[in-house]
Amino acid sequence: MRQPISIGSWPVWRQLTGPDGFGRAAAAKSGQSASLQARTASADRVVKSICPYCAVGCAQNVYVRDERVVQIEGDPDSPVSRGRLCPKGAATLQLTTGSGRLDKVLYRPPYGRDWQELDLDTAMDMIAERVIRTRRETWQWEVDGQRVARTMGIASLGGATLDNEENYLIKKLFTGLGVVQVENQARVCHSSTVIGLGTSFGRGGATTFLQDLQHADCIVIEGSNFAEAHPVGFQWVMEAKARGATVIHVDPRFTRTSALADLHVPLRAGTDVAFLGGIVNYVLTQEKDFREYVLAYTNASTIINDQFRDTEDLDGLFSGFDPEVHQYASETWQYEGTQEATASGDRDEAYERRLATRHHSHDSGRGEKHGSGGAALDGDPRQDPTLSDPHCVYQILKRHFSRYTPEMVERICGIPQDVFARVCGHLVEASGPERTSAFVYAVGWTQHTDGSQFIRTASILQLLLGNIGRPGGGIQALRGHASIQGSTDIPTLFNLLPGYLPMPHAHRHGSLDDFIDGDAARKGFWANMRAYMVSLLKAYWGPAAQPENDFRFDYLPRINGSHSAYDTTLEQLDGNCKGYFLLGENPAVGSANARMQRLGMANLDWLVVRDFSLIESATWWKDGPEIESGELSTERIGTEVFFLPAAAHTEKSGSFTNTNRMLQWHHQAVEPAGDQRSELWFMYHLGRIVRAKLAGSTEPMDQPILDLTWDYPTEGGTDEPMAEAVLAEINGWNAEGKPLSAYTEMRDDGSTASGCWIYCGVYADGINQAARRRPGEEQNWVGAEWTWSWPANRRMLYNRASARPDGRPWSERKRMVWWDEQAGRWTGYDVPDFEPTKRPDYQPPEGASGVAALRGTDAFIMQADGLGWLYVPSGVLDGPLPTHYEPQDSPVQNPLYGQQRNPARLLRPHAENRYHPSGSEPGAQIFPYVVTTYRLTEHFTAGAMSRNVPYLAELQPEFFCEVSPELATERGLEHAGWATIVTARNAIEARVLVTARMAPLRVDGRVIHQIGLPFHWGPNGLSHGDAANELSAISLDPNSHIQEVKAFSADIRPGRRPRGPARPAMVREYQRRAGITGRTGTGV
Amino acid sequence: MVSKQQVLRLVDLGHGYSEIGRLLGIPAGQAYLVATGIPADGGDTVTGRQRQRPGMLPSHSQRLVNPREMNPTHSDRVHEWVRTRAMRDRGPDASSR
Repeated sequence: MRQPISIGSWPVWRQLTGPDGFGRAAAAKSGQSASLQARTASADRVVKSICPYCAVGCAQNVYVRDERVVQIEGDPDSPVSRGRLCPKGAATLQLTTGSGRLDKVLYRPPYGRDWQELDLDTAMDMIAERVIRTRRETWQWEVDGQRVARTMGIASLGGATLDNEENYLIKKLFTGLGVVQVENQARVCHSSTVIGLGTSFGRGGATTFLQDLQHADCIVIEGSNFAEAHPVGFQWVMEAKARGATVIHVDPRFTRTSALADLHVPLRAGTDVAFLGGIVNYVLTQEKDFREYVLAYTNASTIINDQFRDTEDLDGLFSGFDPEVHQYASETWQYEGTQEATASGDRDEAYERRLATRHHSHDSGRGEKHGSGGAALDGDPRQDPTLSDPHCVYQILKRHFSRYTPEMVERICGIPQDVFARVCGHLVEASGPERTSAFVYAVGWTQHTDGSQFIRTASILQLLLGNIGRPGGGIQALRGHASIQGSTDIPTLFNLLPGYLPMPHAHRHGSLDDFIDGDAARKGFWANMRAYMVSLLKAYWGPAAQPENDFRFDYLPRINGSHSAYDTTLEQLDGNCKGYFLLGENPAVGSANARMQRLGMANLDWLVVRDFSLIESATWWKDGPEIESGELSTERIGTEVFFLPAAAHTEKSGSFTNTNRMLQWHHQAVEPAGDQRSELWFMYHLGRIVRAKLAGSTEPMDQPILDLTWDYPTEGGTDEPMAEAVLAEINGWNAEGKPLSAYTEMRDDGSTASGCWIYCGVYADGINQAARRRPGEEQNWVGAEWTWSWPANRRMLYNRASARPDGRPWSERKRMVWWDEQAGRWTGYDVPDFEPTKRPDYQPPEGASGVAALRGTDAFIMQADGLGWLYVPSGVLDGPLPTHYEPQDSPVQNPLYGQQRNPARLLRPHAENRYHPSGSEPGAQIFPYVVTTYRLTEHFTAGAMSRNVPYLAELQPEFFCEVSPELATERGLEHAGWATIVTARNAIEARVLVTARMAPLRVDGRVIHQIGLPFHWGPNGLSHGDAANELSAISLDPNSHIQEVKAFSADIRPGRRPRGPARPAMVREYQRRAGITGRTGTGV
Repeated sequence: MVSKQQVLRLVDLGHGYSEIGRLLGIPAGQAYLVATGIPADGGDTVTGRQRQRPGMLPSHSQRLVNPREMNPTHSDRVHEWVRTRAMRDRGPDASSR
């Protein structure tokens, strides 16, 4: 029998009879709603965390009830995100607790048709056995008579989505095992950043921090769709705009960033050097440079070797180019009176040249060493403060960029001259003592065959305008993974050791002394490199590392060329690399020439995939595109595949390093389910099992792994290593076991240990500084007590330059750090990036070295001469200055020089990696359009963390291509219909989005159409489609080995792509029509 | 129903929101919302003018709704492990050098 309803339960009755006459509060609440309780209110605890998607590093509150995560929200205390989360961040509850994740180990035996379940212990034991066996079978003591002590049979890929502590154990364990092919997403995303910023300023990270963008008077966003790819960080651009800043967006597409900007400047993809070079030319010809800043803080007055020849002299080439090997010798680029330190050892040039010829890798990967420290130089360069000497950097710059006129910018980029003039005007007006401008970029700059030089051009411009090291200025690199900065700092990269110490080279670095002599600067903080290196060796090998055995420097495996991710693919195809770990990376979608990635994996003996779900890189043997086309057959693929489910960020503790070098700790909220484990767990227990199996071995190859310090305390039901212990090792300690407070405390005698010198201080006083969470509202905008930033908790790098040479601020409006004469020290809003008590008028005594050799005005303390480098005499392999070259595959002839492409680009010619004719070459017209790839708000990189999340898959359900109405008409494409896009590598299909956002550009007298392709899709997941990277080629920047996927030529036609064997047949037909051979596109 | 004036009066008397919540029989965060019109969990953008409202906390109002916050910043067990490692790192014959 129904109970009678009391009239008092009627909202309208309560409204009419109670005090809530407008029905805005309690009167409107029904009995049912009154009984509801928010998940956040009933949580047992609220665990502090960080968003695992992009590198803005938004803080999160993770609500836990009954040992289950019940809600995730933004943490309003963060001075960076201020409580906000973007659609991806807001979907992390579903990412971590949804049904898209697997919790059981799966195993595919060789030639197997399907997965089998396998228990975790057995899987770990089998993987350890494969590691030991493969290592034994492929061990190399020497290559070409030089000691290498390594295996090329095993490789690892992934780390940018992982914690710093996980990256540390990956690098440490694999280094102990002699594995050198260790790589992560940084290679394919931002490796050019490290070279571009590192060689210019001394450190390879963003020079500023997100919150400081609010102080800019002008912000140029270029090579980035900031508003959509990093939405929460974009709030600081809007803050600046609200304060009156001019926002300029330079991009091939009109996006939400453009919609919020004051000026959108469409340009042809891949022509940014010409655009920026045009602004440099404007600044120099109009004499708008910030002369006092330029004279004091840059190398503008430094005299260059008179043998140097510029691209102006050699039609697009610099002096020193060897067309036989496509490489430069940089001797003529040097400062007059100096030489590269690397030339000072016992280096055998003939051997080097021979080696380079064989491996196409002279100085491969050396550039990223400049992530923390410019090139080492010997000698005292001469300077001309009048800037009139024809061989001084300033005059060389003027000549070099004189060709970049507004007319030339229009011809190359398709930017009308009046629009270009507006950009120049805004930027120059918003620079100087009273005003500052900032540049913000992302992978639109990095992913080119000369990507490092894109960033170099912006660095030159910002130095000329005096915008580095000053509030509202700087260059903000927007990185795209939660810890891609961290996986570069604590590198899972083949050519680096933690803290940008270079991996020793087989030839150059026989002993620790050779290594230090070869790479340590004589001046500045990089002069203490021996202390950093010895401390790392102590962290790795503890008691086994002693002075009498060179601290076991011989335990480090040697590189002898490029062992980057793309070279690993070739090693797989050649049968040399037999075992592969994929740790949160999905190369079958996310790497250039995705098809080649799969073909490489099909040639492996074994593959370990660790991810949330069955990504394309785990299932290609079963349902990949080559199975469908008949090029591969499941039962003929011998690759043994292990799938191990990964733990989410809420299920493990650790730190992410965000896009402006800030280490932020996230705590474990709950234990992972089933077989889900962290990478920390996986690497630690893999190492433990391998070491147990090798225990007692007297084989010399086994000693580095047996002597490795590998005794981390564990906790919880899964024996998870304590991430804080790993952080403590990264930070380092002294002989008494006291955590180090700063890298200046490190010693080269073995009395200190530290796993990454630039992170020293993150565990100062035994406190996890990365977990500090003093609310932003209680601090100034710098937020120094919110977590911790490298180096030394500085938020703005080179901030000494925010003061005049005499130590006073350039202006009251732009104060940041200044000299306090009374206190006798530097002070200000940020930690000074300078010796705290070194006077501004300090002049080093004769013969001074190291830090003492830095003058009181040397604001760039990691550089060998203490200066910002407009001209880079050493460290950038394709030239001391940027030059516009056309992309590898381009429909346009380079209007600037006879030299069409970057002559030093790295190519990997292969039957599966054909290049296009370019410019005016016959056959180029077969691929008449320019493709550019990009990211969406709702998806994440190669899709593993978004295409299986229902909220996100529903928001962006299908792969599409963006084309202009004009191109649609030209090719008969229909909105919402299908299009097939074709290159010499592959053919894909996409839904057509006809939009005026893609404007045709008039370039050198002809119309160029561009095609936009988001790169997130692959065949698996709730939302699936073809991968844009099926189209791209492996053509690389010589410095960073990053691939060119932001600009390449293609054809587009209406309709769906062919199925089965007809798909590769179509590609072959295109190759035939374009006359493509193995030599196409490979000339200088 | 608790009124804004009730809460602000108690604020003026020097009571904290947790205590006010207990006195009025409502959650502390709700008392804050009633007094200021701003959700305590930080789920809204607060303008400069709103910050001047009576009863506003200068910072970290989320503690009123998230009292069981977990953010440890050090571990004794790790400290002990570091000391042990440092002692071992010196090597087997460290004491004789």
